[in-house]
Amino acid sequence: MANTDITSKTMDGMGPHGTKVGLLRVLGPAHVWALGVGIVLVGEYMGWNFAVGKGGAYAALIACWFAGILYSCVAMIDSEVTSTVAAAGGQYTQAKHIVGPLMAFNVGLYLVFAYTMLEAANAITLGYLITVAADMTGAVEPVSDRPFIVLAIMFLAWLNYRGVLATLTFNLVITAFAFVAILVLFFASAPWSDGTMMAHADLMSGQAALPYGWLGVLAAMHFGLWFYLGIEGTTQAAEEVRSPARALPFGTLAGIMTLLIAATLTWYVCVGYLPWEYLGDGVDGAVAPLFSAAQLTGSTALVVILGFGTLFATLASANGCINDASRAWFSMGRDHYLPQWFGAVHPTYRTPYRAIIFLVPIALIFALGAPLDQVITFSILSGLLGYTFMPINVILFRRKWPLDTIKRGYEHPFHPIPAILLICLCAVTYFAVFLGYGTQLIAMVSFYIVVSLWFHFWRYRFVKRADQFTMPWPKPRGY
Amino acid sequence: MWPLIETGAWVLSALFALHMLWDWYRTDTTYSEDVLTSSREGEIEAMTEQHKLNG
Amino acid sequence: MARYIPPKQGKMGQVIDVIVLLIMSIGALYIPLWLGLAGSSKLPVPADEPTWESLGQNAVMVERWTALGYDPASAHDLITARFDYSFTWGALALMVVVIVGYFALMLRLSEKEYREVIAEKFDGK
Repeated sequence: MANTDITSKTMDGMGPHGTKVGLLRVLGPAHVWALGVGIVLVGEYMGWNFAVGKGGAYAALIACWFAGILYSCVAMIDSEVTSTVAAAGGQYTQAKHIVGPLMAFNVGLYLVFAYTMLEAANAITLGYLITVAADMTGAVEPVSDRPFIVLAIMFLAWLNYRGVLATLTFNLVITAFAFVAILVLFFASAPWSDGTMMAHADLMSGQAALPYGWLGVLAAMHFGLWFYLGIEGTTQAAEEVRSPARALPFGTLAGIMTLLIAATLTWYVCVGYLPWEYLGDGVDGAVAPLFSAAQLTGSTALVVILGFGTLFATLASANGCINDASRAWFSMGRDHYLPQWFGAVHPTYRTPYRAIIFLVPIALIFALGAPLDQVITFSILSGLLGYTFMPINVILFRRKWPLDTIKRGYEHPFHPIPAILLICLCAVTYFAVFLGYGTQLIAMVSFYIVVSLWFHFWRYRFVKRADQFTMPWPKPRGY
Repeated sequence: MWPLIETGAWVLSALFALHMLWDWYRTDTTYSEDVLTSSREGEIEAMTEQHKLNG
Repeated sequence: MARYIPPKQGKMGQVIDVIVLLIMSIGALYIPLWLGLAGSSKLPVPADEPTWESLGQNAVMVERWTALGYDPASAHDLITARFDYSFTWGALALMVVVIVGYFALMLRLSEKEYREVIAEKFDGK
């Protein structure tokens, strides 16, 4: 590592040892786009409608757009840091090199929880879908969703264990289908014709316009994040991308724009079909809102298309979640942040198999035992803590390694304005969660405080000091 | 028909779980702990990426 | 600076660490649920013999509720349930203190650990 020249023009700062013997860089912006949208698109098929419950239909739309701004900041900031730190664990590795071990431990846990809870939410939706399908095909007795929740989690864990589904192609196809299904529902509803079944004016009149007033708009920001949660995972593909400087920000921002369009269409169709009280209650009301809207159209074809859309979206997302969560858990085990037993790689399948198995029961506990809105709130809170970390991260990154010390694949513009904007939007979202879900917020942050103390005063003694710093970077300024 | 599908789902779940557990046991008893935990940062990514490209 | 050699952790110690972590995480996430303190504190307003009119639903809304398979009695709970967004300034202050305190604590301790890492990595040779 001694002869690594970070400022060289022929070799960038990528990878643990520089990328002289680089990985094959074959992915283009389209793959980055598919990676990001694949994990996130399920957010349009379920969960976002809790935002309607928290503030009404208009509030959900405003929250959707503000969350879009928040995620644009996340994407820009993350693209810059990732275009230099492209190794294992994504944001976890960033934190380890830029902020410090304890922060990295926390970020690793954010990733694991955000993705595992998203996986549980996907399984719950899938179970619901099957029970509805059973109803529609004339099941005599009510069908339990439990076996299907368990099966979904087991099957995807098994695929990940065997490493088969690391293929982007499968996810790409089912994601594309789910996206097209939204478009089909929109055009089939023919919003431009007089005969359309959508009735926005009537469904959003009177108390239904802003049932909680402007405070509800703030509160809706909580579930507004759900439209995009997980898009930041795109940046983890940095090492395989042909030209990260172009493909990463382009693919990620294109992903956000796609989601913005899909989210707005989803919102438009759903609030045009369903009364907001039904739409906004994702536990007893619309678990899968697009599917419910399709049911109201009375068209069997649309019900089938949107049913499969929901199914595919949940599967694609859960699959990506298992992959990412187990990868983060594994990375922490390998660094001895967690027992090193988890840092094992399967000799044949090359997967972090112990981490995959370990996370299965955790996903099951929450998928079977907790209501959907709680599970989603856990996921959103972990994501939100991660977004709060990003501006801190990028400010320290620019201070410790100014632009002339490390060659970056991509430099985000207008620093530090995106960082400041992101912190402000995060603060708003904390307040939004506090409205209605304050206890979880306090419980979750208290958990991270206790766990941080446990790490600092007990667990960190098993960690080798200098070995954690694997990047070929110069010494940071000010140390 | 649906009770049958429910039972089928349970059975399949159990099969997947058992296969993972069995393979886990076999792997842990076949290889030494040093071999299994020998990966370094950046390495497993290289493996999966090749996997993706080939598959 | 001398290199820090971490102690080797035995099998038992590893298992205990995992159990501690599991109890902490599942505990923190489930305790609010068990205590019934968890959010979604939406409570329906009880009413006798609700009608669509008394629930404030217009003709189109009624049509949709019917299509979804509801009558006024079964739709009542969904329609009248509302979040309670009233909060005390004390609770808000508590939230701010907890979150800011958490990040301050974590950044402080991280910085301490980070300085050790950098010192050993760049000055230890």
